[in-house]
Amino acid sequence: MPTVEIDPDELRELTGKGERGDDQLREDLFGLGLEYEGETDDGAFELEFAPDRLDRLSVEGVARSLRYQYGSDRGVYIPNTNDAEWTIHVDADVPDQRPYVTGAVVRGLDMDEAALESLIQLQEKLHATMGRQRAKGAIGIHDLTMLKGAPAGGAEATEAEAADPNVETTDADAGKSVRYTGIGPRGDRFVPLDSDIEMRPIEVLKGHAIAHEYADLVEDYDRMPAIYDDVGMFSFPPVINGKRTEVTTDSRDLFVEMTGTDQWTIDHMLNIVCYALDARGGRVEEVTVEYADDAAGEYAGRELLRPDFATKTKTVAHENIESMLGIDLGGEEVVDLLERSGLDAETEGEGTNASTAATDDLRYEVEIPPYRVDVLHPVDVIDDVGRAFGFNKLLPEYPDVSTVGGRHERSRLEGSVRDALVGLGFEDLLNFHLIGEDENFDRLGVRPDSPVFGGGEPAVIGEPYSEDYEIVRTWALPSVMLVLENNTHRAYPQDLAEVGFSAYRDEDEPTKMAERRTVAAVLARSEASYEDARSRLQALCRVFDVDLWTPETRHPAFIDGRVADVVIDGHTVGVIGELHPEVLVEYDLELPVAAFELELDALR
Amino acid sequence: MKLPETQVAVLETASADDPKTVESIAEETDEPVASVAGAAFALEEEGLVAVEEVEETELELTDEGETYEYEALPEHALWVGALSLSADEEPVEIGQAIGTSNLADDRVDVALANFARKGMGAIDEGKVIVDPEFVPDDDPEKAALSAIADGAVDPADYDESVVDQLLSRNLVSERELTVRRVTLTDEGVTALMEGVEVAETVGQITSELITTGEWQEVEFAEYNVEAEAEETYGGKHHPLRQMADRVSEVLVGMGFQEMDGPHVDADFYINDCLFMPQDHPARNHWDRFALEEPAAMDAADLPADLVDAVERAHREGVGPDGEGYHSPWNEDFARALALRGHTTNLSVRHLAGLAEGDLEPPQRYFSVEKAYRNDTLDATHLLEFFQIEGWVMAEDLSVRDLMGTFTEFYEQFGITDVEFKPHYNPYTEPSFELFGRHPETDELIEIGNSGIFRPEMLEPLDVEADVMAWGLALERLFMLATGAEDIRDVHGTLVDLDFLRTEEVVY
Repeated sequence: MPTVEIDPDELRELTGKGERGDDQLREDLFGLGLEYEGETDDGAFELEFAPDRLDRLSVEGVARSLRYQYGSDRGVYIPNTNDAEWTIHVDADVPDQRPYVTGAVVRGLDMDEAALESLIQLQEKLHATMGRQRAKGAIGIHDLTMLKGAPAGGAEATEAEAADPNVETTDADAGKSVRYTGIGPRGDRFVPLDSDIEMRPIEVLKGHAIAHEYADLVEDYDRMPAIYDDVGMFSFPPVINGKRTEVTTDSRDLFVEMTGTDQWTIDHMLNIVCYALDARGGRVEEVTVEYADDAAGEYAGRELLRPDFATKTKTVAHENIESMLGIDLGGEEVVDLLERSGLDAETEGEGTNASTAATDDLRYEVEIPPYRVDVLHPVDVIDDVGRAFGFNKLLPEYPDVSTVGGRHERSRLEGSVRDALVGLGFEDLLNFHLIGEDENFDRLGVRPDSPVFGGGEPAVIGEPYSEDYEIVRTWALPSVMLVLENNTHRAYPQDLAEVGFSAYRDEDEPTKMAERRTVAAVLARSEASYEDARSRLQALCRVFDVDLWTPETRHPAFIDGRVADVVIDGHTVGVIGELHPEVLVEYDLELPVAAFELELDALR
Repeated sequence: MKLPETQVAVLETASADDPKTVESIAEETDEPVASVAGAAFALEEEGLVAVEEVEETELELTDEGETYEYEALPEHALWVGALSLSADEEPVEIGQAIGTSNLADDRVDVALANFARKGMGAIDEGKVIVDPEFVPDDDPEKAALSAIADGAVDPADYDESVVDQLLSRNLVSERELTVRRVTLTDEGVTALMEGVEVAETVGQITSELITTGEWQEVEFAEYNVEAEAEETYGGKHHPLRQMADRVSEVLVGMGFQEMDGPHVDADFYINDCLFMPQDHPARNHWDRFALEEPAAMDAADLPADLVDAVERAHREGVGPDGEGYHSPWNEDFARALALRGHTTNLSVRHLAGLAEGDLEPPQRYFSVEKAYRNDTLDATHLLEFFQIEGWVMAEDLSVRDLMGTFTEFYEQFGITDVEFKPHYNPYTEPSFELFGRHPETDELIEIGNSGIFRPEMLEPLDVEADVMAWGLALERLFMLATGAEDIRDVHGTLVDLDFLRTEEVVY
């Protein structure tokens, strides 16, 4: 699971709980579901997080949750925002595959080393989770003072008005703008982060150490995403920012932009970043996102104000909370638990002011703050109530529900066959269903297109872990042979058997695979003969009351004249014989092996 | 007179005037020493022989003595070396002689001292001169060493001074031992003269012996009943299979019915029906065992209304306040075939009514079946493992019911004090990781993952009751219960037959 690094001193400062020791903090964090994994060299806690509360990917968010837990904060908090001065224009050249952008301005920050590190970590963790490795959403954070906004009228206007020196001063109050667009891979040059030379996008993708990792995200694009201010290109999302606007500890005002394939996703990533910067004392200022009429995506021609700190509401029935948690709660108690979770709640319906006795029709209109991306349904609110109440305070109770248990018929059959084989002296094996193609076919001389037992086209894994596990086995004998090969130093006789899964391709099955269980057995011992194997198979068939016939056949793994089809109740279901010395030598065996394998279902 | 075969042999070999050791009789009769000793004592009880026990001292070579006996006494080596430098004519430097003799450092002093003692030449002013008349093979010390090495043991056979010399040089040592000598008594002689026959002693009891009644006449050879017999390895159920059966038995006892279903399945059943967004990292990560061939189910083989309902849940959520994911969803991905990453596809198929028809609450179902993960292979992780999966469907299930069910289950395996840590799964809410105390080490360890299925999962499957579910790797439980440290030694073709043959059974 992913981890996040949190400096305990920062946590104490941001929660205002300077007196809490490291051990106490660790306990508090466990209460949030953040498990302490260890410490970094700098003494920061490494915490494992479950990927639902993405608002806790940095120390600011974790501190906010702790303040609710401590009772220092209650209810929904919405940061104040200043009106927009900046606009992001989205023009028609924006790549179709990445049409969406969002942004915010945050002013008045005091960025020390720790705050900067925390911001970088938050960016990385958001990229890894909601951003789907930047494919779905990518964040760029810039030093605002380094940006020169074009007048908000748009890029075209800038060129026209540039000739008139008065324009800039007169339109200064009308706002400033940047432009999200698309350019050819060789369309322009800019200096990327961690570099000192101007590069074209194609050169960045090929030659820049960091950017190189993200090249595959845009390799199918005919136009490269690019963001411009009045000076020129300053960001190449989702690949890399420009060096000109790099954020340092001297930065006071930030310009945050995010691009992606889904507006909701980047808007919510933006909310999480803005809440974190607000906690650092920054003043969030809105940004206007203006999509050109002919821009790609579903917002063409529309203007959005971001960040969008609107809350949403979920209606939660009191009886559902009680039923899910299995306890009785008062209405006020529930509201209290919700507020301690950072939510607001209005009660509605019967029993609004009453005791627990009259809560039949009681409901809560629960307000969800804009940084919560995990609340999809009222059950998620109930989970918050349970966490605030403390799940570990609930007493386990065996449900008063009566049902009848039993094994599946197939399991019972498998079990009985195993019992019979063990009774005949076979050691029961349990092998992998995955195997190498060479192991399954070549070493026993069987070809996938051959009609002999063991032949058949296998299920082939797309990206196998290693050549030992490329396909699903089509029969079990190859696995049993591997066990013989790996145990030549052990005492003989080695009588081994496996009742196990195998499968081969069958277009008539809905899943395109005929899945089956087979019974495979080998007798590896001096003087092992066909008759020894036949005698065991007879014994097996006898106790399952089926008729066995073994007409002569040919099979590449066995000696001609000493191999037969296993025909049960008139159907050919397997093979029996003495393994060919060529096979024995292949497996480093120095004594004869007699073997059989048949379909489990034949014994039904 | 009839006697057992060994006793007859001993009696016939023994002599009235020449006491013979038990060992020599054993050699003559070709019987084991222990049998001869047993027979001799039995004959003594009959008064036919006398057994005399004497404590004797035996000489044997020490390690050093053995080395010299095999190579040469150091003084001999020095003599030979010096002679090869013509030291019988002209004195040679000691160092030179030693070098030629190839003497190890720790033998030089020994060589010089004994060389002088035996008068094999003279040493003067760092030079050595040898006596060419000396004959190493006539050296009584050498002769004694060889004789002792050949097994001649009686100290009386040698000149006492030679033996003392070898003892003081620590080339031989003395060992005390009890020697038993057997002599025929007069009664023994009489018995022999009257004739002794071998009594029928029986090893293997034959059916002929029983049916003819001959068994009444014979004596049964006594066996060494304390001795270990040849190893027999009967067949045995595989240890992990035993654990799987044990788990299944517990669950059946708790009212759970077993599920069965496909290992290769559409992603629709493995993930989409579990409300896993299609761009969830677990679905794109390389640990998913996607199949190259066969690649996908046919559209006609997925129930169209179920596909619609699942897609709607993903896009819009369920219920008046529901929200979906802001993730792409397309049916092609849903139809893609993979090896199931968990056995929850079986639960989905059962809940959807595709396995055993529509299910009315209450229901309990389980499986202990394989799941596949294309993850790293190490001591605790395999590419395929048994997942214990269980679920309960009933009206108004609560978190407390979930806790009660799993507490009960783990108690059957000695794991108590189960703790429930709130957790996140895309398909359950609330969700809990289960922790328990290891019965042996008392450590707090993760023992499973559980939760109550989300409405977004259940509504498309047309399930109106509540369903709680949990999962756990059987291998994990096995390792906890047996202390096994590397699961690769247990499950798979690398298994050591010795482990299968000797591992304690699970019950």
